[in-house]
Amino acid sequence: MVIEVPGGNRPVSIAPLVTFRITFGLLMFFSLLRFWLRGWITNLYVTPTFHFTYWGFEWVQPLGNIGTHLLFSLLIVASLLIVLGLLYRAAIIVFFLGFTYVELIDVTTYLNHYYFISLVAFLLIWLPANRHYALDAHFGWTTRRHKVPAWTVGILRFQMGLVYIFAGLAKLNSDWLLRAEPLKTWLPAKSHLPLIGPYLYDEWVAYLFSWIGAGYDLFIVFFLMNPRTRQVAYLLVLGFHGATALFFPGIGMFPYVMILSSLVFFSGKFHSRILSFLPGKKKPTPPGAFRYIYPKTMTVLLAVYFFFQFLIPLRFLLYPGKLFWTEEGYRFSWRVMLMEKAGAAYFTVKDESGEKSYVVNNGQYLTPLQEKMMSSQPDLLLKYAHYLAGIFKEKGLENPRVYAEVYVTLNGEPSRLFLDSTVNLAAQNLSWFHYPWVLPYKNDL
Amino acid sequence: MNYSRPISLFLLVLTGFMLYACSKNEGTNEPAPVSNDSFKTGMLTHYADQLIIPAYANLATRLSALDTQINAFLDQPSAGTLNAVRPAFKDAYLSYEGTSAAYFGPAGTLLLNNYLNTFPVAPGKIEQAVATGTYNFELPVVNDSIQGFPALDYLLFESGALGKFTGPQATARKKYIREVMSRMKTLVATTLTQWKGTYRTTFINSLRTDVGSSIGFLVNQFAFEVDLMKGPRIGWPFGKLSNGIVFADKSEGYYSGLTHDLAVANLLSLKNYFAGEQGNGIADYLVLLKKEAIAKQVLAQFDVAIGALRAIPQPMAASFSQNPAQVEEAYRQVQKLLTLLKTDVASATSVQITYQDNDGD
Repeated sequence: MVIEVPGGNRPVSIAPLVTFRITFGLLMFFSLLRFWLRGWITNLYVTPTFHFTYWGFEWVQPLGNIGTHLLFSLLIVASLLIVLGLLYRAAIIVFFLGFTYVELIDVTTYLNHYYFISLVAFLLIWLPANRHYALDAHFGWTTRRHKVPAWTVGILRFQMGLVYIFAGLAKLNSDWLLRAEPLKTWLPAKSHLPLIGPYLYDEWVAYLFSWIGAGYDLFIVFFLMNPRTRQVAYLLVLGFHGATALFFPGIGMFPYVMILSSLVFFSGKFHSRILSFLPGKKKPTPPGAFRYIYPKTMTVLLAVYFFFQFLIPLRFLLYPGKLFWTEEGYRFSWRVMLMEKAGAAYFTVKDESGEKSYVVNNGQYLTPLQEKMMSSQPDLLLKYAHYLAGIFKEKGLENPRVYAEVYVTLNGEPSRLFLDSTVNLAAQNLSWFHYPWVLPYKNDL
Repeated sequence: MNYSRPISLFLLVLTGFMLYACSKNEGTNEPAPVSNDSFKTGMLTHYADQLIIPAYANLATRLSALDTQINAFLDQPSAGTLNAVRPAFKDAYLSYEGTSAAYFGPAGTLLLNNYLNTFPVAPGKIEQAVATGTYNFELPVVNDSIQGFPALDYLLFESGALGKFTGPQATARKKYIREVMSRMKTLVATTLTQWKGTYRTTFINSLRTDVGSSIGFLVNQFAFEVDLMKGPRIGWPFGKLSNGIVFADKSEGYYSGLTHDLAVANLLSLKNYFAGEQGNGIADYLVLLKKEAIAKQVLAQFDVAIGALRAIPQPMAASFSQNPAQVEEAYRQVQKLLTLLKTDVASATSVQITYQDNDGD
């Protein structure tokens, strides 16, 4: 797409990279502040006694009340340093590690745009975004540069393109296109909106929005890349994400992340104009473009990175059954707003002989948000079952067996039994293979 | 082309957006709607005027009747005056169940249900409180309660209750009961006043369905109450958490023998709230959303669950041990009802069953 390999190292203006650094830092600063002010640090990382860890990252645990708040303070400071381009390399490394650490604490807080932020922060570590309009360059701690290799800007465009196109491909399914779900369910709930409110009860609106959404995600990148259509395309970006922010305030910062990140598609000239509004004396810049010391290594690393960026969203193809139902290969794949899914999970713990039987009060161990997320995702149900087995073992029950009676509704389908309720989940292992105890999806519609 | 003007405009609009996104707090102080949805407004008006406000008014009246009987008893403790308290207590307690679905807004802020009806009661803590005269009703109730209906239930109707109103501790005991009673009346009166005042408008104007909206509150509270039925009201005393070991004395209204009546009254009231009247309930909202099948299924399941509860022989406290099959059946039916509310109804109305505000995607 954007990385034309032959010209990948040709010098281009650094300006898009600088704007990206500044807007990214500002956005992170406000997001983190908002997160803190809403009390979510406490709700999500201090209150819960149990966390749904990521497989292989069980060691990532919250740092306690003070520790977690300190970590967020550190992230807030780091985002300001990123904006200023001060101690940039250190700040972006700290930000990447700290932010990713927070995201790894609990699967139930997973959001695609948090994953996006982690990825972008990772990429920014390797990019010379502090070579201009940055205090690092101002103080002479690093050589000021006006030109950087083309791929350093292209890589961000490419990442954006991946997000949009995979999000678009994910919408090419029968629920979205042929049944207009979940928008058919979600839009009538927005009937309070001015002007359009009354129309949202009409089904055709849901179909219209679904098809527009799919088309937008699939093709917007190409219009942003083409200089002749770029301005109109950006108006569409504003309109589309503005509308999603208005319709679905629950998606939080996502629209703003996309609106600001999409600016990276604009030309170096455009960005130079924006940046020229910034204060600061213009110092002379030494001639020559920024060059990597080991360009070959960078190329290989990039190739590996993007190979996995392609592979991860496609891994779902290796699993049998309906993806939305099993969610095997669902996360980290830019599947946004595709499902209205809700579950109710009832756990029973028995002793080895099955004589003793204890029903579990989920509220005793989980927050409402954790319970909601756990109730419809097989791997989380399994993790919780293992946790319960541990709890009851400590209470003196030998070889506890854990059974789950779970009901799930998906995209307007009546709720149905989700797991085989006769399977002892305590004896099932976490796995990258298909979970045979997830009952097959059935469709009445 | 000169970019600076469109860019400044863009940055201005974006700043506005960001400020909007950052300032919006929890949806409780929403501005009045700019648009209207006459169905939702009608439905919420109906809930406020025909169900919730009359329910609190009724509870206030019943509490004041109970207060009269309790005072008569405390002035002249006897089997006769105590017997006269019994029907008034039952009326008041049953009318409380009529308000249980409205545990949000003023009641939520005041922790009304927490103070009025957290059970089981803590007899040991109450006796200590009476004996020492030191207690604080303002502390939120965590596991077991020393106030509200459960406290009255114990103080007035445990088997040796009457005898404790004569003798050395009688004065302290009477004082304690009067304070419990007075706090209940005050809390309910405050809730009612707030509903009749500004909260009614807030409630009716909240046309969204997210966390903190009126529809969000109602659907969440249906699920919450049915979850209480499955847990503390029948499941836990029945021994579901404890390998079948029955804790009848932890049930609602144990000492007055009202467990069964209260459970039935609670579900009847919830069904009434769910159905609404004259096409004005959440059930009708589901029909409007083209989910008539779900509405019918839930209403039918309410009836099945109520029927199963009624089939448990009285007194319920004894049935927990003696008629496990009937209790088990009621438990299963309540769980089915809970599943429908937590999954199908919540999904169809785009309501999240969670009291937490959070982002999603």
